[in-house]
Parts: sequence; structure tokens; C-alpha cells
Amino acid sequence: MSLQVTKHADVVVIEVDGQLIVGNRQELKQKVLDEAEAGARKVLIDFAKAGYIDSSGLGVLVSLARRLRELGGDLRLANLNDDLQTLFELTKLDSLFQISDTRERALESF
Amino acid sequence: MADLARVLAAFGEAYGCGATLWLQPALDAPLEVAATAGGDVTPPTGPHLADDDTIRSRETALGRQLVARVPGRTRAWLGLGPVADDDAEPRRWMRVLIPVLAQLLQGQWEASRATDELAERYEEINLLYSISEILGRTVTLEEAARTILLEVAETVGAEYGALFVHDAGPGLLRPVTALRLKGAPAALPIPTDDPVSVTARVFRTRAALLVNAGVLESEYEAPFRAGAMLTVPIVWTTPDGGIPLGVVCLSGRRGGAAFTAGDEKLVAAVGSQIGTAIQNARLVRASIDQERLASEMRLAHDLQMRLLPDARVVAPDATCAARVEAADGVGGDFYHLFPLGPGRTGVLIGDVSSHGYRAALIMALVMSAAAIHAQTTADPAETVQALLATVEEELRETEMFLSLCYAVVDRAKGVLRWTNTGHPHAFVIGAEGEAVRLEATDPPLGLGPEGLHAASRPWGAHDLLVMFTDGVSDARDAKGRALGEARVLEVLRARRREVPSRIVDGVFALVEGHMGRMRPHDDQAVVALRTA
Repeated sequence: MSLQVTKHADVVVIEVDGQLIVGNRQELKQKVLDEAEAGARKVLIDFAKAGYIDSSGLGVLVSLARRLRELGGDLRLANLNDDLQTLFELTKLDSLFQISDTRERALESF
Repeated sequence: MADLARVLAAFGEAYGCGATLWLQPALDAPLEVAATAGGDVTPPTGPHLADDDTIRSRETALGRQLVARVPGRTRAWLGLGPVADDDAEPRRWMRVLIPVLAQLLQGQWEASRATDELAERYEEINLLYSISEILGRTVTLEEAARTILLEVAETVGAEYGALFVHDAGPGLLRPVTALRLKGAPAALPIPTDDPVSVTARVFRTRAALLVNAGVLESEYEAPFRAGAMLTVPIVWTTPDGGIPLGVVCLSGRRGGAAFTAGDEKLVAAVGSQIGTAIQNARLVRASIDQERLASEMRLAHDLQMRLLPDARVVAPDATCAARVEAADGVGGDFYHLFPLGPGRTGVLIGDVSSHGYRAALIMALVMSAAAIHAQTTADPAETVQALLATVEEELRETEMFLSLCYAVVDRAKGVLRWTNTGHPHAFVIGAEGEAVRLEATDPPLGLGPEGLHAASRPWGAHDLLVMFTDGVSDARDAKGRALGEARVLEVLRARRREVPSRIVDGVFALVEGHMGRMRPHDDQAVVALRTA
């Protein structure tokens, strides 16, 4: 997995390339926490290039969303593929995140 | 010296002239008679000891004597006499005799040097052999370090020293043993990036360093440094070069003599042996730890399997089969079964969002709490809510969450009620093979807001309840392709009329066939229950 960080106005966009799994979840977590430490409050994670998220990866997303909410910010998701979208629906995790089907819509939603 | 005496004796007999050879063991030392065949043996002095090839004459108690330096590494002078005033002949004899003696002395010098070198090498070879023996007998360097340091220090004549081993985590060179100055404090760990310490510098550069007294003095080395210090890296030699593992420091050479290049070479050889020993010890330790861990994991796995109930516990109200395969010996997938009174059966499947020890501990906690709470209420939402209260703190502290589905089948009333916290794979397979998903009522435990919900649907006499975890549908083949939920459902539909044990076996046969020789990357659990 690799992470690419870009900024769009006050939104930090992190694009995940590869699988978000138990072995690399801490990398994403640290990246988002570093951005939050630097003052970022609006974070969008773009999964356009991610095919799979395991249960540990889901846990990190929820943990980061909570942390940003505590700081008065928000973490949103975009570009989940069909399998991931289904996973979020089946596990009711879609009720915990605002999920957009494109990066542009997600940026507009902040 | 016997050869020299024989040559001089032969010369004396042949020419009727006395001859004496003097040697000077060291510069400015008095001359000593090495061999004589008559003539005055009083050593020449003053101008007669000039370091050139001039033949000089001097007066002695026995008459005039010719004296000349014998060239070569050995400081030697030859005296011939007594000679007559016309000494042209004796001078010619002297020019013949001197090269012969020079050759003999050179031969003796080389033989003596070879003996010294052999003695020196013997000492070195003996040291290396001793250290090999010491290292071969011990598993940990700590046990051998002091003996090794003492042996090396003794061989190179050092009074003080220390042996450091690299601790990569904090980036320190930790002293394993030290020969300290009297009253000095214990040696401290040295940061590998310390700019002054010779020890740190040698570790970084992997090159031995000999520093003179007063040069690059550091408080880190003060406890074991007196004057010049020889510092050599401990390196584990690999095909790609070497990996630095530590440093040996030696100081306070007896008699104040300087360390030599030979000392450096010797300590470097010892350092290389110590490096190999450190690496071997680490591998042995890792192997022992791994074996111990594997043994503990086997025990933990057995223990965990014993926590899972026997599927016959729900008889006669239901027939059930269940199986859990943990990915890491112990895992976070589990099931539980509860006979809840006439005609009612509780079935729980859960998946802690990780596997390994921590997930297994959460699983054990949930298992024991569920056994209590399931008996206190017939409402699955209330049972799961009570469960959440029990494990909420652990889930928060460990950043784990728990997806589970708890279903209560009421055969008498023909109703199935469930609470599903983010568990995607819970189904009722109907008599005609239709698969109805028991939708999630809430996000996984530990992630969602408070207040859980329950749902219900009719339960038919020929319905089959099947739950499995994502380790089953996400099982990967050698090319990384997931099995997929649809293929699991195909097997369930095809085997829906078989007994639950054959249904569970069928699912695992499918999973194993798909994975081939691949090891599961996640825990796998399947539960099948029917009430007919």
C-alpha cells in the first residue's frame, strides 16, 4: 500500500493505493494523525485505487473518524468500489461515515 | 654462536692471528664478546665503534689490533691481532672474514626473528583458539564477554578495556563488560551518534582506530581509558560485506609501550569471531523463542477450542455443527450456543477485528459474558447490549471492534429474532434453497452509537440457519483471488437437506480446495443449525 497526500483548500486528501490491511493500517493512521497534529481538520480518504480493506483497516478508519470529530473535524470517504461499498452497507458502517462516489463530490460536501 | 666460534678458530689456525667478535645487544649498550680465537678481548670504544666500513687500529695490552664494524642488522665488530706494524696482510684477511661473519650473523638474526614471530603467532593462535572454545561453549555473549576481554587484554598487554554490543532499538552501544580503572564508575551506554566518543566513531565507520593519549577523550570512555586507546569494531561478516554489531576498546598498555599494527590485526580477528558468536547467539535465542512461542500458541489454541461449546448442547431442540480454524494458532473468530428453554435456541457467531493473542482474549471475554447474559433475557438486542457493556472498555483500549450476529430461534412460535452488529454473512436457507441474509441491525460493537436493535422473520420447520465469518468468503488462492460469498452460498444451497455436520464439512472442503497450499490469512468459522 502507498499513500499520496494532496491538499485542496482546507481538505487533506489521502489516496490509498493497494490494500488497507492489518500489516499497513498503522501507516495510514500515522499519516492522518500527523496531518491532524499539523492542524488539518477535514480529511478525505480516497479509495479509488484500493481494492480491499480488512477488519483491522475498518477499525482504523473508525478510530480516525472519532479522533477528528473530537478535534472538531471530520473524516470522509470516497470512491469505494462495489465490493467495499457492499461491505460498508452489510456491516452498517455506512451509517458511521459520509461516503461519496467521487472525489469531487466528497470535496464539495465538506 | 658456535658457528661463529668455529669460523674464528679456523681463521686463527690458518693465519696464526687472534680474532674476536663483539656484539652490542642495543644501541649504547656495552659490547659483549660473542666469540674469540685469541687476541685481546677488551671491547673497542670511542672512535673504534664508528658505524662505517673503515678498518681502524688500536693499541691493546697484547699488541696492536685491527677493529672494523661487521655490516648488518646485528651490531657487531671484529678485532684481529696482535698484528705487526705492516698490517697490509691482516687488513686483506679482515676484508675476507667480515663478509663471512656478516652472512653468519644475518642468518642468526633471521633465525632469531623467525623464532620470535613464531612465539608471537603462537600466542595469537592460542588466543583465537581459546576464544573459539569460549564462544563455542556459551549461548550468550554476556557469559563469555569478560573472559574474552581478559584474554585479549592479556595478549596485547592492555590493563583496561571494554566490550560494547549494539542495541539497535534505542541506538546505543551497551557495555557488556569492562576492565575499569581503579575507583572508576561503571561504563555507560554510548549513543551511536555521539560526536566525540571513539567507540561510537569506530562503530559508525567500521574501521579500527588507534588514538594517542589526550586525543578524542570522552567521558564515556573515561572509566576504562588510560592514555592511548585501541578501538576495533566487532563485525559480522556477510557475503555483502559486514554488519557492525559492537566494539572492543583496549587501553593502558603495560610499560607505556604503544599499540602496534599487529595488535590491531589481532583484535580485529577476535572482533570478527565475537561478531559471529553474537549473531549465532541471536539466532539460537530467536529459534528458542520461536519454539517457545509456537508451543505456547499450540496450548493457547487448545485452550481456545475448549472454550467453544459442543454442538450437541442444543439438542434435542436443534441439531447443530460448528467449526473454527484460527489463522495464527489462536484467533478472534468464535461461536456460542445456548439452549434457552423449551423450543428456543440461541446461536452466536463473532469476529474480533484482528487475530492473535489480543483478539483471542477479547473472544474469551465475550464467550464467558455471553454465557451469562444469554440466560437473563430472551431479547437478542438486550443480550448483545449487556455483552457490549462487558467488553466496551477492552475494545476501546485495544482499538478493536466486534462484529457478531446473535440469533434466537423459537421453534415453537416459528420466529427467528436476531441482533446483527456488522456481521455480513448470516443467512437462512429456505426449503427451496432461497438464501435470506440476516441484515445488520447495527454497526460492529465498539464502533457504533449506543442502543442496539433487533429484527425478526418467520422460521420454517425446514429452514437452515448458517453463519460464517469473512475468513471463509475472503479465503485466498495462490493468485490472491477471494473465494467469494456466492460460492459459499452455492454449497449451502446444494447441501441444505444434509445434516449440519456435512454442511459445515462441505463449506470447509470448498475453502480448502480454493486455498490449495495457501495458509489462511484470517480466522474461519462456520455454524449451521436446523430445528427439524
